[in-house]
Amino acid sequence: MRLSTNYKIAYVHLTSSVKQTIVALMGVVFGISMYIFLNSFVSGTNDTQTTLAFTSLAHIRIYNDGPADHTNLLKLAYGNQIAGNIRNPKVIQYTQGIKNTGAIIDLVRKQPEVTGITPQVNINVFFRNSGNKINGNLSGVDVNNENKLFNISSYMVQGKWNDLQYRPDGLIIGTDLAHTLSLHVDDNINVLTSDGVSKNYKIIGTFQTNVKSVDKTKAYLNITAARQLLSENQDYVTDLQVNIQNYQKTAPVEARIAPVIPYKVESWQESNQQLQAASSLRNIISIAVSLTILTVAGFGIYNIMNMTINEKIKEIAILKAMGFSSGDITSIFLTQAIVIGILGGLIGMITGFIIAQIINHIPFKMAGMNHLPMSYNLSDYLLAFIFGLITTLIAGYLPALKASKIDPVDIIRG
Amino acid sequence: MENNIALKANHIIKHFYQPEPFKVLKDLSFEVKTGEFLTLTGKSGSGKSTLLYVLSTMDTDYEGELSINGNKLTGQTRNQLAAFRNEHIGFVFQFHYLLLEFNVLDNIMLPALKLNKKSREEIEAKAYANLKLLGMEEQALKMASKLSGGQQQRVAIARALINDPSIIMGDEPTGNLDSKNTQIVFDIFKELAHERGQTIIAVTHDDDFAKNSDRIIEMSDGIIL
Ligand SMILES: Nc1ncnc2c1ncn2[C@@H]1O[C@H](COP(=O)(O)OP(=O)(O)OP(=O)(O)O)[C@@H](O)[C@H]1O
Ligand SMILES: [Mg+2]
Repeated sequence: MRLSTNYKIAYVHLTSSVKQTIVALMGVVFGISMYIFLNSFVSGTNDTQTTLAFTSLAHIRIYNDGPADHTNLLKLAYGNQIAGNIRNPKVIQYTQGIKNTGAIIDLVRKQPEVTGITPQVNINVFFRNSGNKINGNLSGVDVNNENKLFNISSYMVQGKWNDLQYRPDGLIIGTDLAHTLSLHVDDNINVLTSDGVSKNYKIIGTFQTNVKSVDKTKAYLNITAARQLLSENQDYVTDLQVNIQNYQKTAPVEARIAPVIPYKVESWQESNQQLQAASSLRNIISIAVSLTILTVAGFGIYNIMNMTINEKIKEIAILKAMGFSSGDITSIFLTQAIVIGILGGLIGMITGFIIAQIINHIPFKMAGMNHLPMSYNLSDYLLAFIFGLITTLIAGYLPALKASKIDPVDIIRG
Repeated sequence: MENNIALKANHIIKHFYQPEPFKVLKDLSFEVKTGEFLTLTGKSGSGKSTLLYVLSTMDTDYEGELSINGNKLTGQTRNQLAAFRNEHIGFVFQFHYLLLEFNVLDNIMLPALKLNKKSREEIEAKAYANLKLLGMEEQALKMASKLSGGQQQRVAIARALINDPSIIMGDEPTGNLDSKNTQIVFDIFKELAHERGQTIIAVTHDDDFAKNSDRIIEMSDGIIL
């Protein structure tokens, strides 16, 4: 009952100066909705970028990194006891590609986080159409598994991804590559490897990932056909691409499999640090901006509460003269701040969602997008609410403390 | 113990330091008996209000010692004093302050709600009874800001009585009232003092009011004459 008396007084204060309450409320609503909108926008952007990046990038890649440091072979063989020098050492790479792929694939598949693994035979080649010549990448793929990892069938413009399975003579090439070589589906294309092997293929489809560097230089081929092109055995693989459940959590998987696999195990973060950096920077910017907005809103609340307390200084003195303690006064004004914080938080979450929806519908036709990107994460909303409440609590606490310290005689004496 | 002492002031000295050092209360000592109706008189500026604020425990910045009902109040914390005021002291200010955002009934009930010893219904009934005593029952649900000065003063008196305090202090509690209402308030105070044993200390400029009380303390320049 003691508390409910304080609540009643707080309620009367809030409802008797509706204008001030609304202004304070709007400050919180603005801060929280901007926080939500900015964070949704940035994570939407990050998600879009990630999806784009992972059209051709696996979470973990296993490949033959070439021989270790062989610049001083004598030292390697005899240690430091012998002084000698070899001029122009020719390093022969005994093993190219990955051996024993079956065992490695089995091992990787056993990791609980792994959602897919696919072998590739990647070859640097020239794509030729009579005089036109483009340096590019020919990827021999396991048609089914490749699609499981990268979902390429959804990027097909012409032809069907699955046709690759039955067409050892067929290539699926990027739209931009087709364009620069003036080629269409069913046309012939010549491929020249670095070993000088030249072979004609038929274009059976085109794809567009919207990652320009891919669309301009890449072509897919059945992995068996790729091995034939290189005259390699049926076990030959240059890359193993691995996807896991949460692309952010590559480190533990990498730490577990790297020591037992005699090849380079590389996470996407290592090979694409710029992606990671860009996402992080965008996150930092959005958090900095939204916290600034919340702080400004906090100052607004602080000002309004201060004003209210200056206006009500007589009332506070009377309450204290009648026997209300400092704690009562603090709780009366803190209650008002909390009510503004909670109410503003709820309205702010709804407003933030509406703003995000509106922005999400603005057309933005670039890199395969149709509208501005937006993602809706519950955690953004909860964090905004919590930050908003903390801000109002701090902004309300200082004036409330000031009110509780008012000396009633000073005011009543006049 | 017959003739209990309700209030004991011992060598009360008070200075104001602004705008310049100035001794307002010059070593005042006196006692007030339980159930006594005491009036404080004296010229304007003689220190009556200042003394009353010290006695009411709101002003703690003084020398000397104050006890009420045998409790030594000098040296207690502000929160302790607030709780003590809430239960034992009813105060009517010189400038009858009410909470203007609340209605008359709420104004009267707040000290009792704060004390939290009776149910809401009992408090409300008591508030209505007090209003009736002062001829104000019709205004119960009006906003305090919509009342005339005299009406506000009567509400302030009704509020001072709500917790049945052992001491009621008033700084010119009838200053804004006509003679009829002044008489009503006087009769209420007299009844509270003589029949219920509540102690009354009232500052007044009204000679008749003072003359009819049990005892007059007259002040002049910070001393008791
Ligand atoms: N806050 C203050 N600071 C400095 N001096 C003050 C203050 N309040 C009152 N005084 C001075 O103290 C003296 C006593 O004032 P007080 O208000 O107690 O007089 P009073 O007897 O109640 O007068 P009145 O009958 O007009 O109400 C006066 O000289 C007044 O000017
Ligand atoms: Mg006075």
